Order: sequence, then structure tokens, then C-alpha cells
Amino acid sequence: MKKIVWLVLLGSLMMAAVAVAATFRVVTEEATIRKDRKFFAPVVTRVPYGEVLQEQERRGDWLMVNYKGRQGWIHVSAVQEQKFDWSSLSGGRAAESTRDEVALAGKGFTPEVEKSFRNKNPKMRYDLVTQVESYRLSEGQVENFIRAGNLREPGGEP
Amino acid sequence: MKNRNHLMLIVMAGFILLGGCAEVVQVGTTVGQSAGVLSAKDKELLDKHATTMAQAARPMTEKEEYYLGRAVAATILGQYRLYPDSRRNEYLNSIGRTNALSSDKPYIYGGYHFAILDTDEVNAMACPGGLILISRGMLQRAGSEEELAAIVAHEIGHIVNRDGVKAISAARWTQAVTALGTDAAGRFGGRQLAELTTLFEGSVNDVFKTIVVSGYSQEQEKAADESAMIYMQRAGYDPSGLYDFLGRLAREQRGGDKRGFFSTHPGMTERLEMARSFLAAKGWKRMDHVARDQRFNAYRW
Repeated sequence: MKKIVWLVLLGSLMMAAVAVAATFRVVTEEATIRKDRKFFAPVVTRVPYGEVLQEQERRGDWLMVNYKGRQGWIHVSAVQEQKFDWSSLSGGRAAESTRDEVALAGKGFTPEVEKSFRNKNPKMRYDLVTQVESYRLSEGQVENFIRAGNLREPGGEP
Repeated sequence: MKNRNHLMLIVMAGFILLGGCAEVVQVGTTVGQSAGVLSAKDKELLDKHATTMAQAARPMTEKEEYYLGRAVAATILGQYRLYPDSRRNEYLNSIGRTNALSSDKPYIYGGYHFAILDTDEVNAMACPGGLILISRGMLQRAGSEEELAAIVAHEIGHIVNRDGVKAISAARWTQAVTALGTDAAGRFGGRQLAELTTLFEGSVNDVFKTIVVSGYSQEQEKAADESAMIYMQRAGYDPSGLYDFLGRLAREQRGGDKRGFFSTHPGMTERLEMARSFLAAKGWKRMDHVARDQRFNAYRW
């Protein structure tokens, strides 16, 4: 009888461990929380990689979140949902849907591996990669480019 | 009593197999051990099994993809020079950013970056993680901003579809994930780091060979064409720009050029036909783009 109680307790603990509320983790180097659901809306605050955010509301591709007391909208592509997908239990996608991008990022191809790879292959042109990565346009520049070319500001609400 | 213990083990094994979620199993085994139905050795075995299985099944994270892409780009840039024209670089990056924002993945770990390779060859390479390298030879063939947008949007399509990562042999990735074992994040032993570095090297080669030497499959190219037309249309570009640019390349390929890009991108005529039917099915008509045509003239080679 005692064992059955333990089994029930075990089952409940397992469920509690996976039934996490709709939380998200930032998966870009730095994400932006904005005032409105638009790519060029004023920036409320910036959030570094790995931070956890709680969803308060969802509209289309935008989530309303609160980060250190600052509230605003973040685009779904900048975050990964941490919620457990029960439907995954019946298929082969369990690992994919429950994996924690941030926890795993410290375990695979990391800056440490890159450093070791660079030491082993000194002729690789990482200096040029850095140069290409340094081509950064401001949001204002992109917005002006879109406007001057009679293009559409993407991602906004229809 | 013994049967109950077996039942407990079966339940846990079931969770391992069904969930593949190591953290869940660890909660269960901890409880199981404190209840006295699992020995410390059983717990260790079950935890280890769960972690290995879960990791072997996992996809590459976006951050890992970013580091992989940097290495692929560093390899390519060992063979080409960058085209030192900041004005054209800015123009290309503006077109690229505009299309990226209209893509299905506007934000990626390190952002999208576009650069021109100083070569007459016709080529464009999307490194995983968002670095897109396009040859001067290819850009010079574009007859409008719409066609330039088609080139970059197609490459963004490869990144969003993660085609570069798919080039890595499944066996190699499984081996890399298994090599990680259950160690704490960011702390590799010397042997483990050496093994991972070798696997990283192999993965970089897999991607490099595919995007530079052998090319993506015809299906992947067609999917990237489709993505490109969708992103362009969302951004306000005329998606026929893709059809026009493919038409130019198809004429050159029919003309007998079988070097570089034309060898890694066979079947241009089929892609052209696919683009034509896609545009017709969507009902997207050609549009005027006077402002962009005027702008393009200032960047024409």
C-alpha cells in the first residue's frame, strides 16, 4: 500500500516538473522589448541571451512580457517556449519540444570549441568574419530604406 | 514487494522511453531512491541513460548553429576577398535586412549579415546562423533591386529552412551529442574538447562541401525559391524579381556555362517553371517599382 502511495506521489512530482507555465527564454544574443507590436516601435528595454520571460498576452507573432518591471512586446522568433508539449509524448518530437536551448547551448558547439578549432586551424579568416558581422545598420536606416523604396514595414499588425 | 519494485522500474523506463526528458526522470529516480525502491547504482544508470537518449535526439541549438556558421564563413573567406565597397555593402545589407524582417525568422541568434565576395564567379552562400556571402559576379547580373532582393531572400530561405545544418551527417551529430555525456555546462575535459573539436571540424566540412562544392538538393533550392517569393511579397517587393533573375541564369546555363554556380545549381529551367506556376497560383501580378528602379541605378555596376 505504501508503495502505491509513493507511486502516486512520484507521478504527481513528474507532472509538476513538466507542467511549467508559459515561460520563454531569449535565444538571440540580445532581444528587444518594444512599446508596440512592430519591428520599429520604440524600445522599452533590451534583454540578454538566456533570460526567462513570462508570457502575459499573445497577439499574432508578438508576446507581451515583463522584464525587470518594464513591460512591452517581444517577437516570437527571439524566444523559445519552455512549456512542455504533452502531445510530444505520443510522437518522436519529445526531445525537441522539451529541450532547453539555453542549457544545451553551454554543452555543444560553444565558444570554447570555436577557440580550440581556431587554434587547430590558424589560417581560418575569423578576422573577416568579424568584419562582416560588424556591418550593422541602425533601425532608423532600415526604416528609411523601406520608406524610400515604397516597401512595407513587415511584422506589424494588419 | 519485489513485484512492486519491478513495477516502479517499469514505470520509470516508460517515462524514459516516452518522454526522453532527462530532468523528469531525475526527479523520479531521486524520489525512487529515497523511497528505498531504487539503489544508488540503479538511479545512476537510469539518469545516465535518460540524459544520453535525450541529448542524442536533440536538434542543434541556434547558438551552436551560429558558431558553426562562423567557422564555415571563416573557411570560405580563406578563399575569397571581401569587396571593399561600403556604399554597395550598405545597400545590400539594407535589402537583406528588409527581407529578413519579412521572413519566418526575423530574429536569429547573431542577426543577418550580408557581404560581397570580390570575384567574377556567380555564387551565393548562406552560412548557418545568418552570414550570407554573395559574389560580385552574381550581384552584377541582377537587373533591378527586385532581382537583388530575390538573391538575398533566397539565401535567407536557406537559413530559415536550416539547410546548412541539414548537411551535417546524422551520425556525426549523434556522436557529438553523445560525446557531451552528462558533464556540467561549459566544462569540457581535455579529451572531450579534442573530440568535440574534431566533430566540429567535420561538421564545418560537411556544410562547406554542400554549399560550396556539391550544392543543395533541387528540392531545397525550390523550397528556398518559394520562401524568397513569399518574403519578397510580404516586404512589398515584386516577387516576379525571382522569376526574372532565374530566367537570366537559365539563359546563361543553356548558353553552355557549366562552371561554379552552374554546376552546383542544375535544373535552372525547372526552377524557373516552378516559380512561374507559384506566382500564377498566388495570383501575384507584376507591379511598378519606379522608386526602387531609380535607387538601383545609383548602385548599378
